[in-house]
Amino acid sequence: MKRLVLRDLSKTYFDPYAGAHVTAVQEVSLEVQQGEFVSIVGPSGCGKTTLLNMIAGFIPASGGEILLDGRAVDGPGPERGVVFQSFALFPWKTVLDNVAFGPKIRGLSKAECERIAREYLALAGLAHAADRYPNELSGGMQQRVGVVRALANNPDVLLMDEPFASVDAQTRMTLQEELTRIWQERRPTIIFITHDVGEAVFLANRVVVLSKGRILKEIAVPLPRPRAWDLLTEDAAFKALSGQVLQLVRSA
Amino acid sequence: MPQFPRLWAALKFIAPLLLLLLLWELLVRSLGVSPRVFPDVEAVARAGLETIQDGTLLRHVGASLGRVAVGTLLAILISIPLGVAMGVSPAVSNFLTPLFRFFSVLAGIAWIPIATLWFGYGFGAITFVIFNAVFFVVTYNTLLGVASIPPQLRHAAASLGASKWTMLTEVLLPGALPNIVTGIRTGLGFAWRGLIAAEMIATNVGLGYMLFLARDFYRTEVIVFGMIVIGILWLLLDRLLLAPLERATIERWGMVRKA
Repeated sequence: MKRLVLRDLSKTYFDPYAGAHVTAVQEVSLEVQQGEFVSIVGPSGCGKTTLLNMIAGFIPASGGEILLDGRAVDGPGPERGVVFQSFALFPWKTVLDNVAFGPKIRGLSKAECERIAREYLALAGLAHAADRYPNELSGGMQQRVGVVRALANNPDVLLMDEPFASVDAQTRMTLQEELTRIWQERRPTIIFITHDVGEAVFLANRVVVLSKGRILKEIAVPLPRPRAWDLLTEDAAFKALSGQVLQLVRSA
Repeated sequence: MPQFPRLWAALKFIAPLLLLLLLWELLVRSLGVSPRVFPDVEAVARAGLETIQDGTLLRHVGASLGRVAVGTLLAILISIPLGVAMGVSPAVSNFLTPLFRFFSVLAGIAWIPIATLWFGYGFGAITFVIFNAVFFVVTYNTLLGVASIPPQLRHAAASLGASKWTMLTEVLLPGALPNIVTGIRTGLGFAWRGLIAAEMIATNVGLGYMLFLARDFYRTEVIVFGMIVIGILWLLLDRLLLAPLERATIERWGMVRKA
């Protein structure tokens, strides 16, 4: 089992405006099992993006450790795929080449890369867009590409940093439903960062509430799947869980 | 919409030039301008035909284009790797940016005196002037291009498993390419102007020399013909080679021009 373990993870940095050291993440310990879908939710400034950037290896931790399958994380790596809020697609590559990028640099044959890329594009309903360039697509379509680009590289953990925050509300609900469907089909391990309580509860098996760099509470989400907004919006259990998380976030 | 858009565009481009030609002929004839001051259209056409037939035009154009090609290629070969290397590190690029901005502006004609001291008159000095015109602008633009690639793109590539080499070939170079192409276009513009100036001073063959030589014999028709050739050659180079290249990279990718 490939487990992701955070142990007493901390991040302090010097804030030149405040003229002092600021603690963004403070002794966070968390275990994520293989195939789990964990949402990390909290108000802006709670340290959730800093936490994700440390797991991704974009910034070094100040203290504690990150273990994936028992091995310490050092810098970015293909076993931890990332989906960015800004999509971060390569504008000079077609959609197909964006998705095939991971397999390609792993050294797979051209035909195999294309087969993988087309398979994942089909999974997100993007088969028709393979030869387009990212700037020719809507924001929602671009982020679908962002998600399958990360998935096509077959990472142990998928790290998602507020991926649906910059698309419109209707598209966001569609993307959320698609993500739960893809998760059910492929069972990737996902850590999903968001400030949207409804989104956090809708997607995850477990919601971690973060406040001022610390874990405030972990809440299990035993809602049945497949999940759809039509069913859940009026669902009593969903409402109760969302209310509970919202209270925690607001008290934070 | 007209039926042949390209033909229409060409006509729109040529029409004002034709008007200029007409005015020129009318003015020279009606005012009785001396050919020593300014030639009429026919004399220029005749001089042009003459230089084409006896091969002098080809010789001068060949020499000029050869220098441009050598100087530009050398500059590009050196400045792109250098620009990338400097752009990768924010500290280095911030430190060196003012320097390259300064030399980008200085590049060109101002180097002619020192170039002739170093290389003597001829090919070396002129190629050096062209090299400088292109080198600083392209290095500066490459540096700028690499430095302005969003950090998320580098992060994305690293998270997909990119090695340093892959990062260079798949992210940094294509990401900076629109800036590089813009730099080459600007640099060649400087180089072309510098070339003509340098050839007037530092050589005995080339378009600039052709103009300057004709001046000694009051052959205004040769001077004007040479000026027309210089303009047309630049337009061809820019329209047929550089502008399409710039369009292909910048517009296709929907990237914002940064330089």
